[in-house]
Amino acid sequence: MSTLISPHVLLAVRDNRQLLLKWIVALLVPLAVFTFLWNGEAMANQVLLGLFVGVSTSFDTITLIFAAIFVVVFYAVIITLSGYLVAADSGQRSVVDLWLDVLVYILVPLFLVIGTGLIIGLALAALVWAIYLYVRSRVFTKRTIKSGAMLSELAVLAEEQRGELMRRAVLGGFWFATAFAVVSLVLDLIFYVVGQLPDILLVWVVLRTILLPIVGYFLGYVGGLAAVRRTIAAKTNGNGRGVTNVSKKRRLEVLSTARALEEAKDLVPNDLPLSSTGAQRFYLLLLTAFILFYPFIDPFLFGPGTGGRLAGYGDAGYYVILALGLNIVVGFAGLLDLGYVAFFAIGSYTWAIFGSTQWGLLTGLTIPLNTIGWYFWPMLLVTALVAAFFGLLLGAPTLRLRGDYLAIVTLGFGEIVPVIFLELDQYTNGANGIVGVESPHLFGVDWSGFTPGPYYYLIVVLIVLVIFANIRLRDSRLGRAWVAIREDEIAAASSGVNLVNTKLLAFAAGAFFSGIAGAYHSAKLGSITPDSFSFGDSVIYLAMVVIGGIGSIPGVIVGALTVYAINQFILAQLDTLAADPASFLHAVSAAIVQVFPGFTFGNVRNLVFGVILVIVMIFRPEGFIPSARRKRELRRKEEEGPEVGSLDVVPGAPGFESEMRIE
Amino acid sequence: MSLFLQELVVGISTGAIYALIALGYTMVYGIIELINFAHGDIFMIGSLISIVILDLLGITTTSQPTGFTLLAVMLAACLGSIVLCAILGMVIERVAYRPLRNAPRLAPLISAIGVSLILEDIGKLWKGVNNVPFPQIFPQITYNIGPVNISGVNILVLIVAVVLMVALQWFVTSTRTGRAMRAVAQDREAAALMGVNVDRVISITFLIGAGLAGAAGFVYGLQYGSTIFSLGLPIGLVAFTAAVLGGIGNIVGAMLGGLLIGLIDALSTLIPDTVLPHGGTPWHNAIIFAILILILIFRPSGLLGQHTPEKV
Repeated sequence: MSTLISPHVLLAVRDNRQLLLKWIVALLVPLAVFTFLWNGEAMANQVLLGLFVGVSTSFDTITLIFAAIFVVVFYAVIITLSGYLVAADSGQRSVVDLWLDVLVYILVPLFLVIGTGLIIGLALAALVWAIYLYVRSRVFTKRTIKSGAMLSELAVLAEEQRGELMRRAVLGGFWFATAFAVVSLVLDLIFYVVGQLPDILLVWVVLRTILLPIVGYFLGYVGGLAAVRRTIAAKTNGNGRGVTNVSKKRRLEVLSTARALEEAKDLVPNDLPLSSTGAQRFYLLLLTAFILFYPFIDPFLFGPGTGGRLAGYGDAGYYVILALGLNIVVGFAGLLDLGYVAFFAIGSYTWAIFGSTQWGLLTGLTIPLNTIGWYFWPMLLVTALVAAFFGLLLGAPTLRLRGDYLAIVTLGFGEIVPVIFLELDQYTNGANGIVGVESPHLFGVDWSGFTPGPYYYLIVVLIVLVIFANIRLRDSRLGRAWVAIREDEIAAASSGVNLVNTKLLAFAAGAFFSGIAGAYHSAKLGSITPDSFSFGDSVIYLAMVVIGGIGSIPGVIVGALTVYAINQFILAQLDTLAADPASFLHAVSAAIVQVFPGFTFGNVRNLVFGVILVIVMIFRPEGFIPSARRKRELRRKEEEGPEVGSLDVVPGAPGFESEMRIE
Repeated sequence: MSLFLQELVVGISTGAIYALIALGYTMVYGIIELINFAHGDIFMIGSLISIVILDLLGITTTSQPTGFTLLAVMLAACLGSIVLCAILGMVIERVAYRPLRNAPRLAPLISAIGVSLILEDIGKLWKGVNNVPFPQIFPQITYNIGPVNISGVNILVLIVAVVLMVALQWFVTSTRTGRAMRAVAQDREAAALMGVNVDRVISITFLIGAGLAGAAGFVYGLQYGSTIFSLGLPIGLVAFTAAVLGGIGNIVGAMLGGLLIGLIDALSTLIPDTVLPHGGTPWHNAIIFAILILILIFRPSGLLGQHTPEKV
């Protein structure tokens, strides 16, 4: 067995101590900010006091238990992550570079969220990210530094090198946990001296200081395992389980540069471990824990008022579903739909008519009000199908049209549908709308307006299902056909894609999801009027897709949350600030009112979105979090030279038939 | 019957306004294949500009200038609106569309929607959310021909529209720039190779289209006596339908389409309750969109346009 191993020897040039220092500082600072400047420690202490010592706190036991689970998961994942990162880092990137990233991507959002609340904080953070990304890309282009892993860095790791990675991971986990324990000990002692820490908790402080390094050792080991799984190993007989073997490297070598750089994000060691695929799994874990336990940790993090906030997040949730649905039409298939609100309206009205006394008035079939909520679950599907049917109905005659005509026709449809709901008042109760729409029913769950928790979990479940469906659709044969149509209709048709059917399915799929959102919306709100569905709403949905990144699922979710924040919170917040004579904005707004008497921040909502649409289109057409494919298309010309793939190499030239042979 | 004839008169006059706006859509589409969503809002801004100019000239809603003063005031308002809107249109093209000339097709369209939103909110900030009264300076003369009343304003609107359209037709067919415009519309790259300055021609197209929208804004105010910030979208959509009906890219077609749509719009108010709930009036936009969809399905090239195969 002869294996040709790349001459890059991984660890010879790098100093472990420096690497450890780099990552421990990078992770410790945000964690300490979360724990001590915000409510991380307060949460842990409340939980301990409430659960074990029996001191009555203002939280009930269930809240405390779930908060405890969250705390454990949160800190464990962070320590494991530290192990992974230390092992996964190739050490190529400078310390300052990394710390700057951590500052902008983690610390700034943390402070913004602490200062302004979750949704506003995240939206502002998104703005900061956008500016940072822009500046960084400008600076990097100037310095001709390429971000991302370099292909030449992808070395085949021998057994002993992987062992070295494990050792580093364990060191990383251990030292990170120890550093955190020491910092916590010092701060807690200060708190104790000041008198803010109950005596009883001193036991915990001691226990924690002893336990953390031990736990860190083992969690670091776990992180190391995660890192080693993503290394390239020389192929051995069946022993390469869980380890990417050499053929992966071979595969990368024959791919185009852009594709290879994307795939290289999977691998360890990595120049950008923070954004490597392995690290993303950890983030996903954190996010899942956060979303699952959110209703229970919210009171610790943001104080009283959980109910109102949760209700708000439920609304943000149906924006997300709408954005994902529209993304299928606009993002995947490239059909500009300016009347998406129509399908949302159809979905809303379908449940509103069925789930209220209106149904009895129309059909004479009365369903007892106490059982009607049970029909919500099957009706969720029916509603979606009704909306999808109308998608087909609109699509069938119009999808033969060219893209820009289609935009106008859908816009017209979006204008007509609310008029129909308004004028057909014997069915829809006209301008007064339908009131008394029933909530869903489920055993033992209180859906009344005072407990938004059930709606929060309902929308989370719906979003997860929709995201899953979207990902499956995107990667399916149909999804690839959509993208093909988006890129070049004629080429797609020549390759055997049935244009009309494929577009119709895109329309129907998009409408389907808006139907789900509509049913949720009307059930949650309890009433529905035709004037809540306007062209302005269609444009807002479009803005969510465009800002986030056309065709990118995570991008669209972020876009939806950002737009929701601007629409519902930020403008209102600015108005509140402007009304306060002490604030800086008061003078600004007063000056603007001098010129434009009708000015309020809420009043210029469309202006804000208009400016955002134009700016995004001109400066970042691929959106905030672009889909990989689209980014390649839009940025290829400026950032890369001609692509070099295996086919570009002349036979007989060195490099043709790569020299690496295995066995 | 008399009601029908009466609506016919109203329809022709409204149709003339639609035709003026439709010209802007059709010219821009003919040259760069972009639906300029902001065009309807330029029209709205034009009507606001006219009000402001009349205001600056000391005309209030109650003043009744006569003779030479009337003529001068109207000319000033109309020309002012045309010039300012033309500049606005050119600036929009320069800022929001030109950077995207080679971008994927959706990009300029989305940018256009953005501009439309911006203009709408500017109108809202400028003149508030309510109807803005437009000074009725033109004398309220009514001619009675049989059972039909024709007001002087209707005739004026028609005259202004026809004069501008004839001028445009002459410009496009008989001047050097007009020829350059047609050349760019036919084949942009070939025109550029022949020495046509494509950027300049596109700028001029936006200039003229927006100028016509400015004129339409002025005559709209004269005819209806008030305007509002949210006017741009619905009127713009109707005008776009007119452009498609006539055959998009075709100037005579836009005029014809405008008149037809104006007539349909006016006659749709005659639909009785028995046919549509609450009569035809609340449905008139729905009817126009239904027409738009029908044209696009059965004759996408419009009445006068010829079929153009999609460019590869």
